[in-house]
Parts: sequence; structure tokens; C-alpha cells
Amino acid sequence: MDECQSAIPAHDGDLHVVAAAHHIVKALGTTKNLSDDLRKILIDLDAHLSLITSNIDSKGGKGFVEVEERLKRVERKIVIWESDRIMIWDSGPKEASNYLEAVDEVQTLIDSLRGLSMNENQKQKELLHRASSLLQMAMSRLEEELIHMLVKHKQQSGPTCMPSPSSQRNVVYHESVVSLDNESAKEASSKNFCSDECGEYIVDLVPEHVILDIKSIAKVMFASDYGQEFCEAFIGVRKEALEQHFDILENGKLSIEDVLKMEWCSLSTEMNKWTWSMKIIFGVYLMSEKRLCDQVLGEFGSVNSFCFLEIAKTTILCLLNFGEAIAMGPQEPEKLLRLLDMYETLADLVIDIDALFSENGGSFVRLEFHKLLEGLADSVKAAFNAFRVAVSSNGSLYPFPGGGVHPLSKYVMNYISMFPEYCSTLNLLLEDQHSDVASLVSEPQCGPTASLSTSCAMACHLRSITSSLESNLHKKSKLYKDEALQHIFLMNNLHYMVQKVKGSELRPFFGDEWIRKHNAKFQQHEMNYERVTWSSVVSLLKDDNPGSSSLSKSAFKEKCKGFSVAFEEVYKNQTSWCIPDPQLREDLRISTSLKVVHAYRTFLGRNPAHVDDKCIKHTVEDVEKLLLDLFEGSPRSLRNSRRMMKT
Amino acid sequence: MPATDYQASFLGRISIRRNQVIAMDGNHEQELQDLELFSKHVSERFAELLSSPDDVPFDALLSISWLRKLLDFFLCCEAEFKGILMMGNDPSQISKPPLDRLIPEFLDRSVKALDVCNAVTNGLESVRHYQKLAEIVVSALEQKPIGDGQSRRAKKALTSLMSAMNVDDKECSAAKATERSWSFSRRGVSSKDRVPEHFRSVSNQVAKNWSAAKQIQAMTNNLVPPRGAEGSGLASPVYTMNVIMVFVMWALVAAIPCQERNGLSAIHFPAPKQLNWAQSIIGLHEKIGEEWKKKEKKGTAGLLDEMQKMEKLGNILMDFTDSFQFHGDITGQKAEEAAAHAAELAETCRRMEEGLLPLQMQIREVFHRIVKTRTELLNALDQVGKSPPPLL
Repeated sequence: MDECQSAIPAHDGDLHVVAAAHHIVKALGTTKNLSDDLRKILIDLDAHLSLITSNIDSKGGKGFVEVEERLKRVERKIVIWESDRIMIWDSGPKEASNYLEAVDEVQTLIDSLRGLSMNENQKQKELLHRASSLLQMAMSRLEEELIHMLVKHKQQSGPTCMPSPSSQRNVVYHESVVSLDNESAKEASSKNFCSDECGEYIVDLVPEHVILDIKSIAKVMFASDYGQEFCEAFIGVRKEALEQHFDILENGKLSIEDVLKMEWCSLSTEMNKWTWSMKIIFGVYLMSEKRLCDQVLGEFGSVNSFCFLEIAKTTILCLLNFGEAIAMGPQEPEKLLRLLDMYETLADLVIDIDALFSENGGSFVRLEFHKLLEGLADSVKAAFNAFRVAVSSNGSLYPFPGGGVHPLSKYVMNYISMFPEYCSTLNLLLEDQHSDVASLVSEPQCGPTASLSTSCAMACHLRSITSSLESNLHKKSKLYKDEALQHIFLMNNLHYMVQKVKGSELRPFFGDEWIRKHNAKFQQHEMNYERVTWSSVVSLLKDDNPGSSSLSKSAFKEKCKGFSVAFEEVYKNQTSWCIPDPQLREDLRISTSLKVVHAYRTFLGRNPAHVDDKCIKHTVEDVEKLLLDLFEGSPRSLRNSRRMMKT
Repeated sequence: MPATDYQASFLGRISIRRNQVIAMDGNHEQELQDLELFSKHVSERFAELLSSPDDVPFDALLSISWLRKLLDFFLCCEAEFKGILMMGNDPSQISKPPLDRLIPEFLDRSVKALDVCNAVTNGLESVRHYQKLAEIVVSALEQKPIGDGQSRRAKKALTSLMSAMNVDDKECSAAKATERSWSFSRRGVSSKDRVPEHFRSVSNQVAKNWSAAKQIQAMTNNLVPPRGAEGSGLASPVYTMNVIMVFVMWALVAAIPCQERNGLSAIHFPAPKQLNWAQSIIGLHEKIGEEWKKKEKKGTAGLLDEMQKMEKLGNILMDFTDSFQFHGDITGQKAEEAAAHAAELAETCRRMEEGLLPLQMQIREVFHRIVKTRTELLNALDQVGKSPPPLL
């Protein structure tokens, strides 16, 4: 082409060229420093000119002499590195830029040689082959330099300032509702760091200055049509780096079969790790990787998104598969919180995932994660239902000894006290199951006076769960033969529920009305207890003839003895009973004391004549003191203690 | 095929008669018709897969398009199977013998199949990597005229391609992939064509000791054809579906690089030949098994048709580049041959470019379908378990 153009005298064209050349000369006269781009253009021009002039006498082949000379010169520059053991970019920026210049020159020579039509010119052909060989050598070398550079500067540390997974919530609900018998629920610590904290957290996966070097290599390789090699090498190293980061996060390489067979305790740890890894891999590494790809490859069309996908895909598939395995597993109640974590994490990341994989090839990834999100939502719902079912169906064969706070109450209350942290998610996911539950819990909270927090879906579900718990506790209370103990048991557990609600984030969801109502409930049981236990005992001291001033000695003796026996019986029984809450215990003792001690003192006071040691087994002070032994959960007998006191 | 038709109806008649003794109601007859239709469809579909011509590159056995057809058929069979199992008029059947044992076993196999799906999805990433390397070979050899530079470029990519295929195929790929690190002292290598660094192989997504072959082997455990009266009930479609699932997973593992495939050909299918629907599957199993045995002897890459082509062309082109470097410029017939082979390789790459992603997505679809059916069956079992047992 060039040959044709130069052969045909085109005056207009010539004039333009001449004018432009003048312009360049003039401009160059004022500049002392050449920018890289300008230098490159001038070198290209130089190469071009040498070919055009040589073309005039190309028949003899002498014109290629200069091209050959230039090729030889550049050959030396490139070949010299072949025997060198040191990497070019490690040797210094000057060496690197010289090498790049040399490669540019080769490319220029090739372009120019190709530009000439192949008219069976042996010399031209030979030169072209030599130049291509040289180019291949250089490209191969650049690829090596690239890999070396990427490997050397692959930053292992990554986001060091991120909180480590060990510092986050590691509380595992080891126990399940099913295996509650002896173990009490652990007090759960609060949720780990807020998920939006790590949102977008871009780090430099490769140091800034290295990116420039990599870019310069990319530029040359793409310009020489070696973009494919560049991409494969780039993908290879980056993919491995990502996989190493992933390995550092200690994700077990689990098959779905493994996950489904896993014990809850280890599974919970794995679920935590997944949540954590998702945040780190998507929120940090993939975000940063995407930026790196864009920085390095942004100017070469769509290769950046292709490379990014190739780098990310296997790691992503790994995370995806664990998520799928969890979503398909049986949804036991104890999984609920971990599932919520997983759901929330993914829900937070979905926007990022959509942005990262917005290109066509990435639609696969986008779709899969949206599917997984749906799956996890279903899992959360299923686990929530399983929890509800477990709360209402947890059965016992034997009464809980001592009538204290049942492990089920502890488990349920501690577990649900975590829910407020997932409030918006639970509201979202439970919304469609809201109406039937709301009608179940037709308490004033859901009425027109209710505030927003007591009428939301989660609040209604919470109250429906506690009301299931209540009815279950009623069932459990029937296992006690002693009616008084039934009341103690219910009082204890209701009191515990109220305390838990009052002292936690649950309060706004239950509302003051609920608290009032349940305060009244446990107080009712308190009163019932007193009635059932003490009314008969106190009635023994009652004056049969209110008219007469005092009793006969024998009647007095009889009454005294009756009272002692009854009191001792109660003492023997109820010292083994348990009221774990000190305040509640104190309150009950005071009110018991008021009733019993008062009656006893009155009784004795009304009969001062008979009061002597022999008749009265217990003084008022004794009774008052002995009452303090009740509900401590350690059985005592008065006969024993008496004997012990005497001996 | 009149012979098989006759056989089908003959077998059908026997089973109908046998069942007429058990239950005479119309629903049951409907169910029997469904069962017959199911096995008819199964045998038709697999017969089509068996008859796919070897010489036509597009639909050849274990080609990408063939695999896609296989997965398509799997999805169809699966849908019909589920229909028979779940739409039946008596949902409690699945909790009664023999299904109370067969369904959990089927679900167990399903889970194993899911892991195979994942392994294969991952393996396709390797295939995609081969494709990219082959594309470099193509771009080098497409240049005209081919000079020393092009030949070296092609050779470098070919070396990477062949070793990548071999690494993945040496089964311990997963372990190797993580152990390998980019060497820092590479400058010690002074040969002109340094060892290419295009190594990239199956990432170990699962534990190192996970084995695709063992997984398939485990899927065949307890897989026996229903005997006696069982053969006429729902036990038979469960068995059929089991065999289809195991076969499809087996074929995928044979075709696509996977972790640990040793002994794949030794896996025995307990599918009796007298079952009409099983004949084509047995035929396919034998055919692929033979291919696999050849492969194990030669130590070549996976059985995916495109990969085998790639390997064959790769070897030829490797010879070409070798002789190029030895003789220098090559012209005439040899160059034309090389160009033709490069064009063929380009065509193979194009088919991969078109087919690999859809294949991967289809495997994913199979995955989701298996999960869905499993969930539905578990729910159904749960429902049946909850409802009070029928009063007898």
C-alpha cells in the first residue's frame, strides 16, 4: 500500500506532509524533553521513513540494509536478556523501559515490513520472520516478567485491619431444644460486627507502582496481538492468589454430602466461616480484584470482565455450593441464627454481586446467588417454624425438680433475645406468615393503640412463641403432684420470661401491656401458692370460739402441735424447692412471713398463759428464721436439724 | 423395531395381569400405563443417544452437544419420574415397603449426584482453560506466512495445553494445583523455550481425598433391580431413575476432567439386559467404557469429544512445530496440512466457546432440579409421617 502511495505522485498529499513535517520540526525546536508518547511516534516515523526510502531501490534489496541494521541492533537488546538470570524489571526502571522500547521497535519494524506488499521479496520475508521470531522471544520474556512480578507482589496480608473471625460472635448454640434435659442455655453474646461495616473495602492487591509496570507490559503485549497470553498468565496467578486468600479463611473443602452429615457444632462453625468468607471474598477481595482487572485491562475492551470472571469463578462456586448445601439441609431450630447471618450477609452483598458480574458472562453467577438468597430465605422460614414447633411440642416425662426455671424457658428466652438484631430481616421474611399469627396473638398489642414495634411481624411472632412457651409450661406444671409446686414452677418461669423481656432488646416488641399482664400472671401464681400452702397451716391457729379470750391448755397444746407438724412438713418439702431469683424469693418470704409469722405471733399473744417452752416447739423467731430456708433448693428436715442442734 | 414393541407390550401384559390380582381399580391401571409410558420414553431417549453417529462431529458420542442432549433427556425423565411418584393417587405409598427403603436410598444417591455435578462444573473450568490455550495456538498458526516466531508461539501454547491436559488427567490434579507455586528462580532455565507457565488445573473445591470414581461407585451400592411382585409397582421407576442418574453422572465424569477418576471403567451397572429400557443404557455404558479403557492405556485426556480432538490435533501440530524448528521454513503441502489442522482446531474452539457455558448452566439446572425433587420428596415423606397411620 505504502509502496503504491509513494509511487504515485500526489501533489496535494505531498503538500500536506511537507506542511506537517515543517510543523513538527518547528515544534521540536522548542522542546527539550520528549514525552514517551511523542518519542514513540517519532521512532515509528523514523522506521517508516527508512522503509520508504529503501523502497525506491528495493529491487536490489540494498534498501533493507538499514532495516536489517535496526533489527540487529534491537535484536542485541532483546537477546542479551535471554542469557541473563536476573529479571528485567528487577534490574531497574531504565532497563525495563529500554526493553519495552526495543519491543516497540520490533513491532514497528514488523508493521512496516507487513505494510509492504509481499512481492516475493526473499529479503523482506526473511527479515519479517526474523522480526517475528524476535517478537515471540520478547513476548515470551514479557510473559515471564509479568508472572514473576505478579507472584512477587501478590500481597498476602490483605485486609489486616479487618476484624478476624475469631473476634466476632463465636457463640454456638450447642444445645438444641430436643436435647435440653440438663443443660441450660448459654447466655449469648451480642451479634458480631455490623455487616455494612465492611461493605466496600477495597485494598491494593498489587502495589500501585507495580500496576503501572504490569500495565506497560499489557500495553505492549496487546499491541503485538499477544493479549491472549497476557490474559492467561494474569488469570493464572491472580486466580491462585484468590484461592490462597480463600484457603487462609479456613473454609473446609466440604462436599454436600459432608455438610449434610455434619454435627451441629462443627456445622455452626462452618456456617460462621462462610458468612465471614463471603464478606471478605466479595466485599474485599473481589471488589479489589475487579478494580485491579479494570486498572490493568480497562483499555482493552471487554477482556477485563472476562479475566475477572475466570479469576473469581472457582472460588465463587465453592462458596455457592456450601450455601446450597446449607439451604437444602434439614432446618433445625438451632440453625436459625446462623441461617439469619447467612441470609443477611448475602442480602447485603447481592447488590455488589450484581455490580461485579454485570456483564453477560457473569449472569450465571448473578442468577445463582439470587437463587441462593431465595433458598436461604426459605430456610430461615423453615427453621423459624421448626423453632416454633419445638417450643410448643417439647415434652417431658418427669417434673422438673425443684420447680425452678425450666431449661426450655431459658433456651427460648435467650434465643429470642437475639432476634431483635435481625428485626428487619425477620419482618421481611415473616411478613407473609404474619396475618395468621397476628390473629393467634390477638392481644391489645396488635390493636390500634399498639406502637409500630409491637405490631410488626416479628413482634407478633415473638409473642406467639412466648405464648406457646407458656402453654407448654402449663403442661409441664401438671406433672407436679403438689399444687403449690405447680404455682411455684409457673411463677418462676413467668417471672423469668418477664425479666428477660424487660432486661433486653425484646422489651419494645412485647410492650408494657404484655409486661403488666405477665407480671400480674406470676403474681397470681405467687398468691395461689400462698393460699394453697399456708392457708391450711394458718387456719390451724384460728380461734374456734372468737368470743372467748383464751384457749384451754389442752386445746392450745393441740393447736400448737398441729401447727408444728404442718409447718415442719412444709419446711421439709419446700426447702428443696427452688426460686432462683433472689428478689422474687425475698418477696415471697416476706409476704409468707407476714402471713404466717403474724398469725403465729397473734396466736401466741392471745394465749400468754400457756406459753412455755414445753408446749411451743418453735418460737416466733424460730419460725421467722426457718422461713428463710425455704426455696433454697437444698432439702432439710427440722427433725434432723433439731437433733443436730441438741447434740 | 417390531421386536422390542412386542416385547414391551408382552412384558406390560404380564405385569398388568399380575397386578389385576392385587388391585382391580382403574386408578391402578392408569398408574400402570404411566409406568409403561415412562420406560418407553426412557428407552426411546437413550436409543437416540446410542445411535448418534460417530463421524458427524456435531453430535458425536460425548461431544458437548451430545452431553447437552443427555442432560436434556435426564431432565425430561426426571420430570416424568417425579410425576409418577408424586402425582399418584396414594401419597402414602412412598412410606410403605418397598419404597420406604428405596426412596431414602434414592435421595442418598441424589446427594452424591449433586457432588458429582459440582465436580464436573468445576472440571469445565479446566476445559475452558484448554480452549483458551488452543485459541492461542490457532491465532499463532493463522498468521500467514507462518514463520519461526509463529511456530514458537504455537509450540509454547501447545506445550502448555498438552501438559495442562495431562496434569488434570493425572488425577492428583487437585493436590498438584495447590502444591505448585510459581518458581522464583526460573531464570536458571536457559533453554530458548522455557517451561510454559500456563499451568492451571482443577482447583480443589472439595477435600483432597474426594474421588469422583468412588462417588459413582458408592452410587451403585445396593442398586438392584426390583424382584418379584415389586417389579410391577413404583419400585421399578425408582430403579430406572436410579440407573439413569448413575449413568448420567458416570458419563459426565468420563467426559469432563474430575478429581480422581481411576477405575471408572470398572464400575459395573447392575442393569439387566432383559429390561427393555435398559438396553440402550447398557449399550452406551459398554461403548463409553471401552473408550475409557483405551484412554486409561494411552493416558490421554478426558473423553469429551472436543477435548480428544484437541489432543489429537495438538499432537499433530506439535510435530509440525517441531519439524518447523528443525527444518526452518516449511512450505507447500506440509504448510497446507498444518493450516487445515489449525482450522480444525479453530472449529473445535468455536464449538467449545458456544457450548461450554450452556453446558455448565445445564449442569447447574440438573443440580437445582435434583435439589428440588429431593426437597419435595422429603416434604412428602414428612407429611405422610405426620398423618396418622391408616386404620387397619
